[in-house]
Amino acid sequence: MSTAQPAGAQQRVETEPLLSVRNIVQEYVSRGPGNVKAGVVHAVSDISFDLPRGQTLGIVGETGSGKSTLARAIIQVERPKSGEVVFRGQDIAALPKRKLTKVHAQMQMVYQDPFGSLNPRWRVEDVVAEPLLGHTKQNRAQRRARVRELLELVGLKPDTYLRRRPTELSGGQAQRVAIARAIALNPALIICDEAISSLDVLIQAQVLNLFEKLRVELGLSYLFIAHDLATVKQISDQVAVMHLGQLAEIGPAQEIYRAPRHPYTRALLDSIPGLDPQTGIARRPVTLKGEPPSPLNPPSGCRFRTRCPRAQDLCAEVMPPLTEHDPGHFAACHFPLEAPAVISSESLVASIRRTGPAAEPINRR
Amino acid sequence: MAVADPATTVAALTSIDVSDRSIKWARLRKRLVVWIPAGFVVLLLLVCFVGPLVLPLPPPVGGSVLESQLPPGSPGHPLGTDVNGNDVLSRLVYGGRASLTVAIAVNVIGLVVGGVTGALSGYLGGTSDTIIMRVLDVFIAFPSLVLTIAIAQILGPSLPNTILALTAFAIPAVARIARSATLRVVNMPFVQAAELSGSPWWRILLRHIAPNITPQMLNFALLGMGIVIVTEGALSFLGMGIPAPNPSWGNMIYEGQQSLSATPLLVLWPSLALLVTVLAFNLLGENLRDEMSGR
Amino acid sequence: MTITERGTGHAASAGYRSDVVLSVRDLRVRFSRAGRSVHAVNGLSYELRAGKMLAIIGESGSGKSVSVRALMGLLPPSAYVAGSAMLGDIELVGMSDKRMREIRGADISMVFQDPTRSLNPTMSVGAQITEAIRTKNTVNRKVAAERSVELLKLVRLPAAERRYHEYPHQLSGGMRQRVMIAIALASNPKVLIADEATTALDVTTQAQIMELLVDLQDRLGTAVIMISHDLGLAASYADDVLVMYAGEAVEKAETATLFQNVRMPYTKALLGAIPQLTTVPHSLLTVIGGHPPDLSQIPPGCPFQPRCPRAVAKCAEHPPLAEHEPRHWYACWNPVPSGEDWALAQPADGVPAEDDTLDDAEQLMTEGFVPPVEPLLTAGVIPSEDNAPKKGEQA
Repeated sequence: MSTAQPAGAQQRVETEPLLSVRNIVQEYVSRGPGNVKAGVVHAVSDISFDLPRGQTLGIVGETGSGKSTLARAIIQVERPKSGEVVFRGQDIAALPKRKLTKVHAQMQMVYQDPFGSLNPRWRVEDVVAEPLLGHTKQNRAQRRARVRELLELVGLKPDTYLRRRPTELSGGQAQRVAIARAIALNPALIICDEAISSLDVLIQAQVLNLFEKLRVELGLSYLFIAHDLATVKQISDQVAVMHLGQLAEIGPAQEIYRAPRHPYTRALLDSIPGLDPQTGIARRPVTLKGEPPSPLNPPSGCRFRTRCPRAQDLCAEVMPPLTEHDPGHFAACHFPLEAPAVISSESLVASIRRTGPAAEPINRR
Repeated sequence: MAVADPATTVAALTSIDVSDRSIKWARLRKRLVVWIPAGFVVLLLLVCFVGPLVLPLPPPVGGSVLESQLPPGSPGHPLGTDVNGNDVLSRLVYGGRASLTVAIAVNVIGLVVGGVTGALSGYLGGTSDTIIMRVLDVFIAFPSLVLTIAIAQILGPSLPNTILALTAFAIPAVARIARSATLRVVNMPFVQAAELSGSPWWRILLRHIAPNITPQMLNFALLGMGIVIVTEGALSFLGMGIPAPNPSWGNMIYEGQQSLSATPLLVLWPSLALLVTVLAFNLLGENLRDEMSGR
Repeated sequence: MTITERGTGHAASAGYRSDVVLSVRDLRVRFSRAGRSVHAVNGLSYELRAGKMLAIIGESGSGKSVSVRALMGLLPPSAYVAGSAMLGDIELVGMSDKRMREIRGADISMVFQDPTRSLNPTMSVGAQITEAIRTKNTVNRKVAAERSVELLKLVRLPAAERRYHEYPHQLSGGMRQRVMIAIALASNPKVLIADEATTALDVTTQAQIMELLVDLQDRLGTAVIMISHDLGLAASYADDVLVMYAGEAVEKAETATLFQNVRMPYTKALLGAIPQLTTVPHSLLTVIGGHPPDLSQIPPGCPFQPRCPRAVAKCAEHPPLAEHEPRHWYACWNPVPSGEDWALAQPADGVPAEDDTLDDAEQLMTEGFVPPVEPLLTAGVIPSEDNAPKKGEQA
């Protein structure tokens, strides 16, 4: 179960990032009635980042942010319009299609819909063995042995589950099968495209823990895509926040949550309902004003300016570049947030809801 | 229909519920709707294909005029004879064999060739898809009956030529269906996952796409049986299908029509046979899909 | 018919008990499926007070959606509903379809999860609201149209007059949901049910919609039942919280009371499973193994017992939902003591194997899966969260 690596690669891998994405652009042509070209959807606009080996990058974005498109552009199921995707030292965006098969032995994907990603007519055994069939020359017995191993790794008893079909599985079990398939070839990188969003809360926790466990045991790296910041918190070393096809902010996870620089990140954090763990008071989300802009017609300059409480004239004229504010912490904003704000005062004030005098704010800024 | 029960006791809930019974009946009815036509089809196939080998049927052609137009119930001729002295029952059986041969052959060829074409087209997408579909569109654009008549005219009436003519319009129709079914499947994540797993295109088509479009294809094929049988009947009726004196239900109707006032039954038997057969296939086709996809 | 606006609702401070608009007693729902009975709801009772928001929280298969659809008469014919649900002085359980159609929309209405599927794509948005108004009130088209625009403004849809003529596909998800709310409020119902109404929305949009709901509550005095799987949402917005498991209410209290003192281990597990923003990266979440019970074969005793880290011998006897503390009901023999730490005891490696503590003979359910888009409930279709379990192959 060891990762076979060419001899000299060992040293190289330590210093170079596992995945290096440079200036990825992906666009779709949107067609109106009669198949007439109505406009261009700027799904991904010039995204660049690095993912060091063994780390997890959480990519957070709402609808229309382009995060799923980015995932597909990285894994090359849709070739990006332009840009580089350097994976293990090789630009896979420039590779011809037939050479991509070898690359996919090292880069796999887990999807949002656990049942959609499994052929309903196949048995679990066949599903998990498929990558082995496509990439190795193992015979049937060897494949079966490996499948058993993989099912054990994901916490499914092989004897019970080998012969089952997806229709006989629960959501959590189906997703575990999908994960078993993804790790079959011992890849270096797994892209999780909203892999736990469709699962119930308690099952989400189980699967998140499974991801962590596999990360440690198999030395995996993850690109973990989600639509809210709370989900990726647990699992990420670095977090990237996407807005309408662009990177709003990227940096170490702790920093992003403790001291976000981009107003959009702040807005996302403020929108999460729940209890404040320090005060125990219900946190009342602060709402963002306005509707999300359309990817067909993004605003000029900074794409967040229509909803940003700090927007100025400059924001409409010049697109803010991604600048480094602290080591490794980048934000694309002309007027980034300054002081580390743990809890915004608005949410504290708003948290006094009709529960009466029982809820007292602990500290006011 | 919700039933209110103010006295909410566990006993009330476990008592026999009317809705339970009505559901059981609905399910039984569903079963029957599949098994009765299926049974009939099996019977039909047995009679028409095995029958001539085992049953003591008089030959369907070459009867003497002396025995013409005997009424049903005559000794040796349970359904009587036609104007040429041939036994009607025998002609019905042999005619059924001819008609069904054409229908099965056309559907099988259509399913295989059309199915593969359509699935390939849907899976490949892009220019290949466009090219294939435009070619097929040309075929579909022709009124099917006119096309088959034209082909039959050019080639001349015979059983193999009839099959050929009918496949010309069966293949594009099946290909259309196969393509749309494939498009529905191809966008599912598991196909993408299969590609990422390194499965080559033929394995994806064979083991991922095909099993998931089979229920629809089968359904279409069974409904198609009815259409083909009727079309063959029309061709034979017009003299361009199975050539006389060999029987087919179509040309039996044609001949019977000529002596309609004297012997109306000669039209009735083949028409009835056509009707019941087409109905059976249609019922089977409609309901088998529900069964196969497990409701 | 006017939409009456009450004064600002901040007068509803703690202590004063408002009128009860909906009183549910021992609601039970059972489906017959493939020869088996699926007990989707088993004895649910609660009271909804005017102008208050009750959050019913549960995972898939808990029966939360089924219970409210029973109130609205939206269950398929194979459903057997027992118990009582008094809307004012009208008994909803057992009501005829005809009468239910009059009540639905007028006195009690519902907003569904996916606005895309709930709106007619071929009708303009305004036309749909107008239709909703005219079904329940005899007003001419012009008056109804004006009312529609008023409603669109009420739900804070920007450029309401223009949006009136637009089609659903021209609006964003959040805007569509606002339209759904407008339709639901068209006849000023006493009770509005939001069935996972924000689940399919982005978190920023969710915040906007929830703000809107709360504001509308204050202005119109509508009582709201919010169905969700998100306890955090309940914490931030609801007045009262009810947690459901296997078709029963297992904990019920006012929000502050409940979160200050979580008693039911299941609720505790739900809380613990939500990643908090202050946890250390790469730490493991506290998890509960297994999955909810098969609703066609609910074991006797507490339904959570097989998975509960606090289970004791007494749990073989079904715990009743009782008011063990003032205004705090729970159904547990061994509740979580006060002041216990947030986290439950952590299992050995944090990743329980499937079926580890459960019998192999347990049948499976398609639980634990919230489909990305919930299919609209249509007659004859059993709601997805209560699919009868399929027979698993025995090992």
